[in-house]
Amino acid sequence: MAELEFIHVGKTYGGEAPAVRDLNLKIDEGEFVVLVGPSGCGKTTALRMVAGLEEITEGEIRIGDRVVNDLAPRERDIAMVFQNYALYPHKTIYENLAFGLRMRKVPKDEQRRRVEEIAQKLGLADMLNRRPAQLSGGQRQRVAMGRAIVREPEAFLMDEPLSNLDAKLRVQMRAEIARIQQALEVTTLYVTHDQVEAMTMGDRVAVMRDGVLQQVDTPQRLYDAPANLFVASFVGSPPMNLFEATVEADGTQLVFGETRLELGGRLLRDYSGRRLVVGIRPEEVREASGWDGARVRGRVLLVEALGAEQLIHIEIAASPLERADLVDAAAQPPGPTLGVEELERSVTLLGRFDRHLLLTPGEAVEVAIDPSLLHFFDLETGLALPTTDVPAVAGVAG
Amino acid sequence: MSSVTQIAPTPVAPVVTRPRSRKRLRKAGWNVLGLLVLAVMVFPVYWMVSTAFKPGHDILSYTPQFIPTHPVLSNFTDAIHQQFFWNAVKNSLIVTSVVVVLSLVLAFLAALALAKFSFYGRKPFIVVILGVQMVPLAALIIPLYILMSRVHQVDKLSGVIVMYLTFVLPFAVWTLRGFLLGVPKELEESAMVDGATRFGAFVRILLPLLGPGLVATSIFAFIQAWNEFIIAYVFLHTPEKQTLMVWLASFTTLRGTDWGPLMAGATLCSLPVIIFFVLVQRKIAFGLTAGAVKG
Amino acid sequence: MASVAESGYIPASRRRRFSRRRVGQAVAPYVLLTPAAAVIGLVLAYPLYLLVKMSFQKYGLFELIRHQGKWIGTANYASIFHDAEFWHVVLRTLLFTAVCVSLTMILGTAIALLLLQVSRWVRIALTTGLVLVWAVPVIVAVDIWRWMVDYQFGVANWILTELHLGNFARHDWFANPWTGFGVFTLLIVWGAIPFVAITVYAALAQVPHELLEAAAIDGAKPWAIFREVTLPLLKPIFVILISLSIIWDFQVFQQIWVMLDGRPSSDYYTMAIYAFHQSFQISEYGLGAAIAVVMVLFMFAATLLYLRQMLRTGEVN
Repeated sequence: MAELEFIHVGKTYGGEAPAVRDLNLKIDEGEFVVLVGPSGCGKTTALRMVAGLEEITEGEIRIGDRVVNDLAPRERDIAMVFQNYALYPHKTIYENLAFGLRMRKVPKDEQRRRVEEIAQKLGLADMLNRRPAQLSGGQRQRVAMGRAIVREPEAFLMDEPLSNLDAKLRVQMRAEIARIQQALEVTTLYVTHDQVEAMTMGDRVAVMRDGVLQQVDTPQRLYDAPANLFVASFVGSPPMNLFEATVEADGTQLVFGETRLELGGRLLRDYSGRRLVVGIRPEEVREASGWDGARVRGRVLLVEALGAEQLIHIEIAASPLERADLVDAAAQPPGPTLGVEELERSVTLLGRFDRHLLLTPGEAVEVAIDPSLLHFFDLETGLALPTTDVPAVAGVAG
Repeated sequence: MSSVTQIAPTPVAPVVTRPRSRKRLRKAGWNVLGLLVLAVMVFPVYWMVSTAFKPGHDILSYTPQFIPTHPVLSNFTDAIHQQFFWNAVKNSLIVTSVVVVLSLVLAFLAALALAKFSFYGRKPFIVVILGVQMVPLAALIIPLYILMSRVHQVDKLSGVIVMYLTFVLPFAVWTLRGFLLGVPKELEESAMVDGATRFGAFVRILLPLLGPGLVATSIFAFIQAWNEFIIAYVFLHTPEKQTLMVWLASFTTLRGTDWGPLMAGATLCSLPVIIFFVLVQRKIAFGLTAGAVKG
Repeated sequence: MASVAESGYIPASRRRRFSRRRVGQAVAPYVLLTPAAAVIGLVLAYPLYLLVKMSFQKYGLFELIRHQGKWIGTANYASIFHDAEFWHVVLRTLLFTAVCVSLTMILGTAIALLLLQVSRWVRIALTTGLVLVWAVPVIVAVDIWRWMVDYQFGVANWILTELHLGNFARHDWFANPWTGFGVFTLLIVWGAIPFVAITVYAALAQVPHELLEAAAIDGAKPWAIFREVTLPLLKPIFVILISLSIIWDFQVFQQIWVMLDGRPSSDYYTMAIYAFHQSFQISEYGLGAAIAVVMVLFMFAATLLYLRQMLRTGEVN
């Protein structure tokens, strides 16, 4: 077990834009950190630099107290689980598990003992003589895990280990990996593009975009207080609703479309008279009945029943984000589908509602928005704005 | 698709991070070795071409001249004016073109059966196709000669064509079958769902997609037929009926060792093959071994 | 294909048409196969049968003209098996094949590995060179090498003398069968290397990156990665290449025949040349056939190896 640290790490492939820029990240002993971001954000490159599969262009990587920049992969004492498992097809499961031990000249009987112990733990004991091709996807995944565990390395590196599994198995293996990691207390760096995986598994989650680390925090903090528009739009499913608004009345009012929200304090004093981005999580969009605060009028576009709850797409009058480049491309809400002529500029507000609420597309609705649950971001930089009076919105459960 | 160089290189071992300069030095070492190997491998071909351009006194010199300083074309004119050259060119062209067309048609039909139908006896037939490629031609010459003399096909181009066909067919069937299997079934099916008949789907969807495969196969057949020697040598006696390779092989026996014209003739005989080979060699390499490495 | 017909959802009036179509589907593959099968059967299967039959017959010029051999049982085989010359030829052919195949495989694989190490431009140059060599027709190759080892003006003798490896002026390589076969080995290996090198290189490029990376992380050194991961993955390719090479080199004929002007001395007989000589030069077609049958049997082993590998890699399904 050791800690793992990136110190000003950069990676450039000859002539191209850097794949990783000035990455600083420290993973404590026994900690599970998930590196998450859209494809091409540099997360896998970062992981591979730790493994020694990519050269480090700038900065240094430490494992424990060793700088590993110039060490070959075999000298770094790490284990890696690959996306497609990378099991040796010509070797039996036993040989696959024992390979790392054999290469490190562990005595034969010790090899056997450790392999059998791991196989027992992972439910692979009956399959030791089979070859990878004869195993199911889930079993192969477990062999890949076993091959990493059996070596008892300083750190685990996992590169999207669940993405080749079907949805159900993925959920199951998600819990299993988290459980194994907790039991073994091995420092783990886990790469995924799936923010749900990141949120459910990591002690801390590091969000990357275009080679730049955006924010590192616990999943809850990341959700409650995203540092910028990108993190806000990337974390959470369905994603946070985002639209533009104008601050008026010395920072006490927010205006968008025909709505004027009282903020209940001079929250945005510094932004008075300026435009900014407003964000609200779908679960914070509430039904208006019994609410005596500000309401927003809109029209139902689409109702998605999810069983326990329903997702309702509501078109409201407001300006969509000008700077689409500041948010996660995959999280962009679809444009209005029913052309509502009277609303010149409209955005789709996604709301999570109780399943008993009966709404049909085309119907006019009023929703309640609690100003204290809103997120604010700068229009140009995308950075979250500090609100002056009231503490950040944390933990007001809907 | 058209050259080997697009195969992504896989390092035998992943890059091990080492100080830059040492790595560069090692790369340079490998490059020098690579160029050395290239020089050794290509030298014979170079020697043929350069000899073909040298005047006689430069060829017959005890100190070989590595770069032809006074290139001449006389060797080529000599080679072309050699007896029976144009006969041989004509014969070779007839034989190869007929073999290419016939083998393409026959192989395509057979490949269609093997790739698109499942029927009783399919697997045995494939095994036969593969096994037949292994039958030693040299061993079959004797009975073939007997057989051909019985049906009066000795010393006739038609007999040679039929024999060539046999040796080209297995590979052609095999390659075309591979190409046919490579076309996703969904494409045909969607065409049929869109209202095309089975035949229509075949003509509009399958055939265009098979273009590269048909080209590769016909070039392969061409090369085989063009290069073949033993059958042509044994079965074609009359000089007027001989193919280019036989003409080339008998070149020296007629005029001793007249190296200049011989090398010029050899260059001329290789030219079409080299051109075609560069076009398709990658497909041939893959045809024999594709899918044998599984991850 | 016939799912509509099988669904049983067809009005009675249309059933006939569908069932006729089904018959067509069943017959079609055989119709498509017939022409190719006919040619192969006529020119390969029947001669193969004829070869075996002739090997049990007296078949000389007289019989050739009469189109009728005379049954003599195993006399041809008895005659060749008691012929010391035959065993020399067999041994010579086996040795020659072994040397050629080993050299081809080792050098070809080495070049394939080299291709992975060099810079892109060297790789392009080298593969182009290999393809060029591969494209040279065998007869042309023979002529080139004959010119290079010419005893008087050959460049080989000159280079060897210049390198102070001895005085090779007017050295006749074919005076001694050992050096003569040395030249043939070089000629054949040179011609066969490109196919092996390019195929192995293509196969190496197909080896999944992650496996090599996984092995490196598992603690394997470069040589161990090659031995433990790369080599086993390439085994099917090697089996196929080796069996093909054995078959090609075992029946070597034209290189020796043309190089020696169609008059090789008996020191240069390989099985193919020996069979040819027996048949076409001294008109003992029966004896030649018996030798050819032995040759086919030898090569059958390599063929089996090849077929088994092709079947195993699932190519046949």
